[in-house]
Amino acid sequence: MKRDKNLPLTETTFYILLALLERAHGYLIMQKVEELSDGHVRLAAGTLYGAIENLIKLKFIMPVPSDDKRRKVYLITDKGREILRFDLERIKHMAKVTEKALK
Amino acid sequence: MHIFKIFIDYTKEEKWLNEMSKKGYEVINNSFGYTFKNINPEDITYRIDYRTFKTKQDFIDYCTVFEDSGWKHILGSKSSGNQYFKKVSENSDDDIFSDNISKAARYKRASNIWLTFASSYFVILISLALTGAINLNAFINPKELYFTPGLWEATGLTFWKKFLFETPFALGRGFIWIIFPISIAIYLYCILKASKLYKKTIKDK
Repeated sequence: MKRDKNLPLTETTFYILLALLERAHGYLIMQKVEELSDGHVRLAAGTLYGAIENLIKLKFIMPVPSDDKRRKVYLITDKGREILRFDLERIKHMAKVTEKALK
Repeated sequence: MHIFKIFIDYTKEEKWLNEMSKKGYEVINNSFGYTFKNINPEDITYRIDYRTFKTKQDFIDYCTVFEDSGWKHILGSKSSGNQYFKKVSENSDDDIFSDNISKAARYKRASNIWLTFASSYFVILISLALTGAINLNAFINPKELYFTPGLWEATGLTFWKKFLFETPFALGRGFIWIIFPISIAIYLYCILKASKLYKKTIKDK
């Protein structure tokens, strides 16, 4: 099977998609990513903004309506979920063969 | 205080603004050069991004992401390109970018806009050339740019009065198009410089 050209996801992209399984605005994404990654991935505002723009272009996330007039809110799309699952399978496989090899 | 200065290197510009703040000058405008107001000397961290926006809503959302994370948007508008931020929270990180690729990408966005300008000027220049509006003979024989009847036969004060009166019009008629190749050259220079800075930023430690 030919692999999606967006795989493997970068660590940043992976965590942003993971954070957006629930709707969130920019700053909330930054906080969630930091929490999910045990503080290893700290996104700065400019970097996050560019990443969001790129993920919208790829149709992995989409803006959703919200009451907040100043902050756009985003949510993962079906295509985004799919790519996240593909990458999970890739990571699982890597973990499996590595654990076996290092035993 | 007003200082006229042009930067292409964002890192240098950020450093310069920081040094000015340490000397007691805070930037309040940069529409034509930089305007500063006097403040008590302070070590202010500035960061610059390059972005233009389709809607006012997009622009507000962008500024809010920064403000939520401790960076106050101080200069820039929806379509100005350069966006200036000042660090206002002790807890926030020292940069608005957390990796080199996104830090370098601002040069690419700026370059793309400059390239659009340069190409439109190029199209205008070509159209002027094709419609015969550019008269290269004027370099050899500038006299033909003067239309005042009997100008070259006049003498003394009458000649100088007529001559000086028409000179601005003659220059406009003959050489105004030079603005276009000059602008194109300036944009191309900026694009070249930005591309070097892009590569340098990617490689930075």
